[in-house]
Amino acid sequence: MSTVRYILDNWGTLGPQVETHLEIVAIAMAIAVAVGLGLGIGSARSARVAAASLAVTSTLLTVPSFALFGLLSIWVGLEDPPVIIGLVLYALLPVVRGTLTGIRAVDPAVIEAARGMGMGGAQRLLRVELPLAVPVILGGIRQATVMVVAIATVGAVVGANDLGQPIFSALYRSTATTPRILAGVIPVAAIGLLADGVLSLVQRRLARGRVAVGAT
Amino acid sequence: MITFDRVSKRFGEVVAVRDLSLEIASGEIVVLLGPSGCGKTTTLRMVNRLVEPSSGTIRIDGRDTREMDVNLLRRSIGYVIQQVGLFPHRTVAENVATVPRLLGWDRARTHRRVEGLLDLVGLPPGQYAHRLPSELSGGEGQRVGVARALGADPDILLMDEPFGAIDPLVRGRLQDELLRLQQVLHKTIVFVTHDIDEAVRLGDRIALFSAGGALEQYAAPDLLLGAPASAFVDEFLGDGRMVRRLGLRRVRSARLRDPDGQGVPATAIDADATLREALDAVLGTGDGRVAVRESGRILGIIDSESIREAVR
Ligand SMILES: Nc1ncnc2c1ncn2[C@@H]1O[C@H](COP(=O)(O)OP(=O)(O)OP(=O)(O)O)[C@@H](O)[C@H]1O
Ligand SMILES: [Mg+2]
Repeated sequence: MSTVRYILDNWGTLGPQVETHLEIVAIAMAIAVAVGLGLGIGSARSARVAAASLAVTSTLLTVPSFALFGLLSIWVGLEDPPVIIGLVLYALLPVVRGTLTGIRAVDPAVIEAARGMGMGGAQRLLRVELPLAVPVILGGIRQATVMVVAIATVGAVVGANDLGQPIFSALYRSTATTPRILAGVIPVAAIGLLADGVLSLVQRRLARGRVAVGAT
Repeated sequence: MITFDRVSKRFGEVVAVRDLSLEIASGEIVVLLGPSGCGKTTTLRMVNRLVEPSSGTIRIDGRDTREMDVNLLRRSIGYVIQQVGLFPHRTVAENVATVPRLLGWDRARTHRRVEGLLDLVGLPPGQYAHRLPSELSGGEGQRVGVARALGADPDILLMDEPFGAIDPLVRGRLQDELLRLQQVLHKTIVFVTHDIDEAVRLGDRIALFSAGGALEQYAAPDLLLGAPASAFVDEFLGDGRMVRRLGLRRVRSARLRDPDGQGVPATAIDADATLREALDAVLGTGDGRVAVRESGRILGIIDSESIREAVR
């Protein structure tokens, strides 16, 4: 109860933090999807590109977010930019892997037929491979989004005014600690679940007739 | 006309096709036949340049295929494979429209073409046009595959074991349909199979390959069965050689006997049946005599002796 009261009483502060949080995640995911799709398509075409991009993007995921945001803030300054860049780096692996897996899962007979009918590489990609891989790619995007929504809270340490603020502010106070933390955690969880739900709905819609979607 | 001029294909150490020279006349069905790994698929795929020859030249109507844009070449040649490879996210109609769309046909023309093709392969558009490939049986799927290959009315059709994965009954029906289509369309069809019966039934000519991609004999089915050019051909065609030849001849072509004093037997067979069917009927009767009938009229009697004479 005291948490609900806290959230309502402090909505003036929390509202903009929710907004910033959404904005940071949206920008980061937009960039990650664009870059990740590119790397994923490149990976599907060349084993060397695949090895390199999977190695780099999975290594990035092992860097603690605290350290990554800190390092990035030295180069690009405080507040949103280091957080957006950091989140992009984290989101890459699931997007790249989803794209690569999705394209590789396309039935070789379908590709053979497409080539045999005179579809060029770009036509095959746009009309056959990507449409068929979409459910798997969306699975990767979904995974990345949920992850990034949570990690974005750490952005508060470099000054991003997002939902990490109420959580971190609790660490330096002795009163209303739990409500403060929950005031950050609950909206984050809600955003995460909502994004996951919407994306899984889209995924299922698009799955009809396409490559089978594993339980991701 | 498709001309192979001293064409070879090597994959590293493996010779898939060895020094092949072959002319495939326009409007004919040529069957590439032979044991697994003898280079049938490789030979076929060199026609639409899915495989490039290591040496030699392939010409279509006199033109070196290497001089043509590879995608334009492929759009001008129909291609059907055993696994069909329909686009699973596209409807039957959209699948069939693939090549017309690539060629930039307008909507109305494409639509007319698609409906015509579906009718042609025996799939009423009203019933099938909007289905997804997952909603088709194997035989229906392959019919769509054939319709798709005919999309832009190509002169040449390449078919790689198109009916190989289909049960014998439906396969027989699809073979009949292909022959019926061919009577209307007069395409140049290159058809790969390792099924001798299918080859004999469909081929105007059969090119028989042996392991290592060597062409052993190129002849009409009757000649191939009647006069094998090598020990390999003889062995490959096996014990059923004469019986298969019977399958190529009509009962009316045999010298029939008069009923004599023995009367007309109760068992009768149509004059358009094959001698193979006649032999089956003869073996099934008590006295080995079967009446030959044509639109209700008895032409004569066929027995094992007249069947033997016909293929001697
Ligand atoms: N892409 C490839 N790379 C390496 N070797 C190949 C390739 N394609 C075919 N071969 C080899 O070339 C030979 C001929 O193959 P091909 O597929 O033409 O045979 P096929 O007559 O179609 O056989 P099947 O009846 O089994 O389909 C085989 O030894 C095969 O292993
Ligand atoms: Mg083959």
